[in-house]
Amino acid sequence: MKLEKDDLIKLYKNMVLGKKIDTITIEGLAAGKVVSFFHSGQGSEGLAAGVASFLRDDDYIYPHHRGHGIVYLISKGFSGTEFLAEHFGFAGGCSQGISGFHSVDPEHGVLGSSGTIGSQFPLTLGWGLAAKKNGREQVAVGCFGDGSSNRGTLHEAFNLAAVWKLPIVWVCDNNGMAQYTPIADAYPREDIADLAAGYDMPGVVVDGMDVLAVHEVMQAAVARARAGEGPSLIEGKTHRFRAHSEGSPDVNHFEPRSEELIEKSKKRDPIKLFEKKLLAQKILTKKDIEKVDKELQAEADEMDRLATASGKPDPSILDKMLYAE
Amino acid sequence: MKDTVFVMAINEALREELERDEKVFIIGEDVQQGTFGATGKLVQQFGKDRVMDTPLAETAVAGSAIGAAMTGYRPVADMMFGDFMWIAGDEIFLKAAKWHFLHAGKVNVPVVFMGAIGGGFKLGAEHSQSPEAVVMHTPGLKLVIPSTPYDAKGLLKTAIRDNNPVVFFYHKGLLGSPGQIPEEEYTIPFGVADIKREGTDVTIVATGMMVHHALAAAEQLKDKVSLEVIDPRTLEPFDLDTVVKSVQKTSRAVVVDEDTLRCGVTGEIAALIMENAFDYLDAPVQRVAAPNIPIPGGYMEKYALPQPRDIIAAVEAVMGNA
Repeated sequence: MKLEKDDLIKLYKNMVLGKKIDTITIEGLAAGKVVSFFHSGQGSEGLAAGVASFLRDDDYIYPHHRGHGIVYLISKGFSGTEFLAEHFGFAGGCSQGISGFHSVDPEHGVLGSSGTIGSQFPLTLGWGLAAKKNGREQVAVGCFGDGSSNRGTLHEAFNLAAVWKLPIVWVCDNNGMAQYTPIADAYPREDIADLAAGYDMPGVVVDGMDVLAVHEVMQAAVARARAGEGPSLIEGKTHRFRAHSEGSPDVNHFEPRSEELIEKSKKRDPIKLFEKKLLAQKILTKKDIEKVDKELQAEADEMDRLATASGKPDPSILDKMLYAE
Repeated sequence: MKDTVFVMAINEALREELERDEKVFIIGEDVQQGTFGATGKLVQQFGKDRVMDTPLAETAVAGSAIGAAMTGYRPVADMMFGDFMWIAGDEIFLKAAKWHFLHAGKVNVPVVFMGAIGGGFKLGAEHSQSPEAVVMHTPGLKLVIPSTPYDAKGLLKTAIRDNNPVVFFYHKGLLGSPGQIPEEEYTIPFGVADIKREGTDVTIVATGMMVHHALAAAEQLKDKVSLEVIDPRTLEPFDLDTVVKSVQKTSRAVVVDEDTLRCGVTGEIAALIMENAFDYLDAPVQRVAAPNIPIPGGYMEKYALPQPRDIIAAVEAVMGNA
């Protein structure tokens, strides 16, 4: 698929709006409004938007844990208001305030999100199995981080997805840090994509800070999946701009992460990089970018307002929620 | 009615549900042959896509069944041994059990986890457990433990049609046990206990294989004490009414289960009886369960499994003859 002007702007807006909601969540946590915790996704917006912006509504996706999936979710059609309200513990949340931060939106292929890292592998396997059984050329996208790549569930799911030729795209957001542990101390090779060879599936490394590069490899993997040719693995190299979670120490094992390296990585901010391209290609002018920023800030603020207005849930809902009819 | 055996009753339930609903499929290690025979001879009729053999990968078995269930399929995940559910603990106890609730009812997880439980075959500590306490403890999981072919078939069909995750445990020692089932189709609702033997002096609440031990004890004691043997059949939901009504009649209760005593289901059921029928009790409720040790293999296994004589001793205790 060739990206038209509108498509490029859509990609850009998904990244910017996602980051704005990410920022509101960070501020909300500091202000005591977000009642759980938050793991910012800043630095991964390009990978997330490149992966999720042009999927079908009925494609399944397990969004990566960074940013609690916000850029993936926005790109898939998920409501930012529901995202924020859930984090506020409010009734307008996607789970009426019950989950605290787990996202769900079956209409847009988001069947839930997990509190345990690595559980996305077997679940995505099930969605891929269902997609194949359905026979409607759906795909299942299973996103994970370099941290989750250490889980044994990866092997079981990669293996069976390949044996059964399931329409799955595995996406690894490798930002080099799993909470406080650097990837170099957790994995013996340079590229996680190398794992793909062992499962006889394509594995590609892409610059995760370059949304267009991500889009290109994603399109190829999705096309392969829809054609019934089986799973693929994409590894996007990204950077984590902030600490593992808000308020936690930003350390490598136990020593502070190098500020110099973080600052250097921020020079390759995926949103800024894409802006430069859009300006160079005359898709947007500086003025346009300012306008988009203003509009999206207003949109995000309105989401915040609506989420806040939804208020605390009535605990009587808990009694009715354990079982389906 | 027709004669059958327990394992064939399970097999018939699976066959009928595979026929009835194309969303039903079976997934697990070597289910096409069937390690215990429960899932055997189905692949010939329904094909490999609906009776799916997997490699040795329990988290993938459970996880893919749960994932497919969330999209509208009704998988039966055969975990082979109930003990093996532990390998897929995240999938079964955190995902299947919680995701409907956690996501405010926006997703359903209509999956059945089947597993063979219980001792008696000298298979050692990791193939002989009766892990019902952990399942009953976990909000969001329904739990079936049948003791007869009739109950096994009717309850498994209900389990497959339920829109929630159901754990279906069958005791290895009962697989060849005979019984009668109707020629025509039937199902058994959850949460309805069955009185396996009527009596007037002591209420025995027993599960799975222990129902048969309780019936053996009742037969042995019949000239001295009249035992009423109640099989809850499903531990979640639990039919408290039938148990309480029985205790109102007998004023004495013994609870029997093959799981360990400490934090076992006998503790929960005994507490429910105390809370709901205390005024009718003439003696403290007695519990019969396994001692707090892993189940040994070999010849020492029987020391870790409740026996009919243990039930008789408990009956004597509630009768004041101990």
